Amino acid sequence: MSKLLKIKNSSWMTSPTIRALGALIIVFVIGLIFNADGAFLKWGTHRDMLRAVSVYGLLACGMTLVIITGGIDLSVGSILGISAVSFSLFCIHFSWPFYIAIIACLLIGLACGAASGLIISRFNIQPFIATLAMMVFARGLAKWMSGGQKISTAVQQADGTYKYVPVPDVFNFINSKILWNNISVVTIIFLICLLVSAVLLIKLRPGRYIYAIGGNEEAARLSGVPVNAVKILTYAMSGLFCAVAGICQASQELQGDPEAGFTYELSAIAMVVIGGTSLRGGRGGIWLTLLGVLTIGYLEKILSINAVGEDKRLMLTGAIIVAAVLLQKTKK
Amino acid sequence: MTDNTKSLLLKMSRISKSFGPVEVLADVNLDLYPGEVHILAGENGAGKSTLMKILGGVHTDYSGKIKIEGKETDFKSVQDATEAGVSIIHQELSLIGSLNVAENIFLGKEKSSYQWLDKSHMVEYSKGILKNFGLDIDPKRAVDEFPIGIQQMIEIAKALAFNAKIIVMDEPTSALTEPEVKKLFKIIDQLKEQGCSIVYITHKMEEIYSIADRITVLRDGEYIGTETAGNLPCEKLIQWMVGRELSQQFPRHTPHIGNVRLQANNIFVPAASTNPAPRVGNVSFSVKAGEILSIAGLQGSGNSELLNGIFGTYGKDTKGSVEIDGEKYKIDSPSKSIQRGLALLTNDRKSNGLVMDLSIIKNSTLACLPCYSRCFWLRPADERKAAKETTESLKLKAESLNQEVDSLSGGNQQKVVMAKWMQTNPKVLLLDEPTRGVDIGAKHEIYELMNQWTKDGIAIVLITSEMPELLAMSDRIMVMHRGKVTAQFSREEATQEKVLSAALGKRKPA
Amino acid sequence: MKKFTKILAVVILLVIVLSQGCAKKSDSDTNQVKWTIGMSQCNLGEPWRVQMNADIKNAANEYEDIKVVFKDAQNDTLKQRSQMEEFISAGVDLIIISPKEAVPLTPVVAQAYQKGIPIIVLDRRVLGDKYTCFIGADNKKIGKATGKWIVEQLGGKGKIVELKGLMTSTPGQDRHSGFREGIKGSGIEIIFEADMKWLEPNARKEMESALARFETIDMVYAHNDPGAHGAYLAALAAGREKDIKFVGIDALPQEGQAYVAQGILAASFEYPTGGKEAIETALEILSGQNVEKEITLDSRCFTK
Repeated sequence: MSKLLKIKNSSWMTSPTIRALGALIIVFVIGLIFNADGAFLKWGTHRDMLRAVSVYGLLACGMTLVIITGGIDLSVGSILGISAVSFSLFCIHFSWPFYIAIIACLLIGLACGAASGLIISRFNIQPFIATLAMMVFARGLAKWMSGGQKISTAVQQADGTYKYVPVPDVFNFINSKILWNNISVVTIIFLICLLVSAVLLIKLRPGRYIYAIGGNEEAARLSGVPVNAVKILTYAMSGLFCAVAGICQASQELQGDPEAGFTYELSAIAMVVIGGTSLRGGRGGIWLTLLGVLTIGYLEKILSINAVGEDKRLMLTGAIIVAAVLLQKTKK
Repeated sequence: MTDNTKSLLLKMSRISKSFGPVEVLADVNLDLYPGEVHILAGENGAGKSTLMKILGGVHTDYSGKIKIEGKETDFKSVQDATEAGVSIIHQELSLIGSLNVAENIFLGKEKSSYQWLDKSHMVEYSKGILKNFGLDIDPKRAVDEFPIGIQQMIEIAKALAFNAKIIVMDEPTSALTEPEVKKLFKIIDQLKEQGCSIVYITHKMEEIYSIADRITVLRDGEYIGTETAGNLPCEKLIQWMVGRELSQQFPRHTPHIGNVRLQANNIFVPAASTNPAPRVGNVSFSVKAGEILSIAGLQGSGNSELLNGIFGTYGKDTKGSVEIDGEKYKIDSPSKSIQRGLALLTNDRKSNGLVMDLSIIKNSTLACLPCYSRCFWLRPADERKAAKETTESLKLKAESLNQEVDSLSGGNQQKVVMAKWMQTNPKVLLLDEPTRGVDIGAKHEIYELMNQWTKDGIAIVLITSEMPELLAMSDRIMVMHRGKVTAQFSREEATQEKVLSAALGKRKPA
Repeated sequence: MKKFTKILAVVILLVIVLSQGCAKKSDSDTNQVKWTIGMSQCNLGEPWRVQMNADIKNAANEYEDIKVVFKDAQNDTLKQRSQMEEFISAGVDLIIISPKEAVPLTPVVAQAYQKGIPIIVLDRRVLGDKYTCFIGADNKKIGKATGKWIVEQLGGKGKIVELKGLMTSTPGQDRHSGFREGIKGSGIEIIFEADMKWLEPNARKEMESALARFETIDMVYAHNDPGAHGAYLAALAAGREKDIKFVGIDALPQEGQAYVAQGILAASFEYPTGGKEAIETALEILSGQNVEKEITLDSRCFTK
């Protein structure tokens, strides 16, 4: 055992990227072993896994930014819900052109996120509490906007009967696959947002400020960093990515479900944490999150193709999350 | 007053302690007779707190002997010390606000049978204790419901609740009003009659001479001497506290002094939550280009708060006006101050001076990142170049500029902070303990830097608790005590005794 | 200023909470109202319950002399109990209740019954017999009917994927056990089953796994229509939707029935809300007729 620990502490093992990659490789190998009659070896399985995990991945992008500042965003699932409902309403019921509907949804997500950020920075309320309140409020808003029902292509008329409208083209496009059916559009959208986050964190000034605030907020403030503005920006970006996720979710379900995204925040946080970004803030990065997203995505897929019962799934997932986080711990 | 035939209650002999290579106590002695009030005096950093922490079982790694009532002791924990009858009243309140008074008094010594708390007993006992202090309060109420003065009394009651024989009081009156101080002194008298002894640490001259039986003086970790209060008048006490050889190692070259760069008027920093008195009350001063003005003061004097207030750390709570190079503006926030040309090097770089997770380069460019980013797009090559230049001019030694500042020595860390501020091209530099936690070699480099900066026309305001540094580097000295200015000296006028005297509260005669 | 914002925040919170808790009242003409009916719904989070209330409202609107007051307990048992007590003290003429749970709500239902207020229990049961009438559908029966229909459709044998609802809930367990009973003795083989917890995205993910594993799938039985729809989308994305048939349960007009009409589902078995039947039974009770203690709703099978 001590030899294992010795290996763990040698320099190349302590890089968080290597460790996150290690976790992913282990999960991948498990998939190769338990490949469910070869299902794991088909490209389609991997493509489907990417499709399914993309929505969560979008939430994880915003969550990464927020966690690096030392905060947390519990409202991601609810904002996804609002966005899914709004997008369906705008496209199906109001028949807006798709670009207007998309922009409107993105603005709604931005506004919700910025509101959380404002409450956290100006009024000094803890992120956990502020985003918890937003989580509840936004879910209620989604239900109110949708009247409690799913917004689908069956539009209720005044006399109680239903008229079936065709599915809007944008839904079909987002729900489709490109490159000779090899990759889903939502996966591309996820990767684009991942890239945007990476550029923000690594290449842009607000990204540097995000790390500084997470590392030592007071030192940042006394160095003239505009802490409040950066925090609002961070939560607004999270809201924006949630809105994108909601658009993708609605397109894939061909409807806007007010319950969409319920409990998704837990998965998003798990992906960020397993990737190696510390909840304390100041450390981590978006590529680590990608590794975490893939790790959890593959884990769920392997359990699914092997038709593992629900009870065992929950226990295994919980155990693996703990194991992955333990592997992440450095001796400082 | 001392009876040589009475046996000693406490004898600490040849106590020495080091933290790593730094020696903080060297062969210090302290003894107590029963029924005595013994003042432990010395400047900041003399070693008083460390000595008391050894007595109280906080530091267990020391050399020397401690005997209580003739028996040699070896405390392995605070618990051991408390059981031996030693009780320490700390400077910072150690009460837990959300718990009630009785729970606090019994913290760590809860009365229980088989783990079941005997609450009624604890409440009754507490009530009795508090009554002895003339405190008629309900022990079942939460501590944070009471004003700070009462809390301090509760802290004292807590320390005295369990038959302590040796009581250490570290600045116990910092938050008390006059009548409460009187109450405390009466209690001290009571304790003396019971045969208890008190080690009392304070910076207030009036208090020393009002209750002291004997006084022991420490200086720079060394034991200077012990005398009865009657045989140690104020001037001699001060001389014992500061009387060191002033060496000529500080190369202060006073350059040409120019116009006023910083003018601060009527600066008022309101009270913090722990103390009813305002931290800085109506202080005004000015600093010229090329000049170093030091603001001297002991703990609680408000000098650090003054600089922080001007810099905008407390935001708009700080009242008063600031002029830089003749332009007046209202105190707003750190970023506004930086724009105006102010820079503040704080006295605790780990807690608010550096972002430990970030690299040297990233820390050094943090205060003026817009200079290195066009339209939000960072230019790492420019940052690296600037960091390289600045750190070279500061003689910072590091393996790589990309390493995290956490891995640097104290002196080098301080240089990173200085690099950060130098990049903002400040007009006025506020330095709060710039050589704290820095080795002697780096200290000299910092003094040279200060010379260079003043040569470049920057105005410097300096806070330092090291007397030699203060006297050697200052062109002018302003002394503060409890939020107000008590004296101002020019470089020629200043002596250690004068400065310390003013810091202890004695106003300079007009 | 800080104190003001704190107070403002509290006021805003209070407003939000109070407006959520306000009882939903139906707006109808109070002039000719002869009977007031109180409707206690355990939650309006499930669209199926929204449909139930809508069915009640639509049925009631046919009759000018009844007025229905709706209260939503937001899935809180204690709230539902106090709302029931409000109905009792307001002296309504009849109560319809769809309780969240049996045990905690049995006493208050009995209380109303003993006070002489007729009470119809809808969809979920209470214990004992202190109520006028229970109206509900039988999930086991529906599951069995689905099983038998599938056996018939496939001519006695075939490969089936079962996508289950939350198996810790009674409807999930009943629709599962009923189905198994319905296919007993036939050549129907369940090659893949998974718990999709009633959710469409989950059903889609599980179906993708099934498609990856099995070359031949004849039919998918999902415990609810969203699940069947999710499975259909997975098959559509894999280009195999023409080879597989999909069956669901619930048959809400804008959901299951719509899917059947659009050819997405081969069939959807109705899980009736009973809203219409509740009003009709209520009217019978109020006009003095005797009614059956147990009314089991029929489930229609919607096919194209």
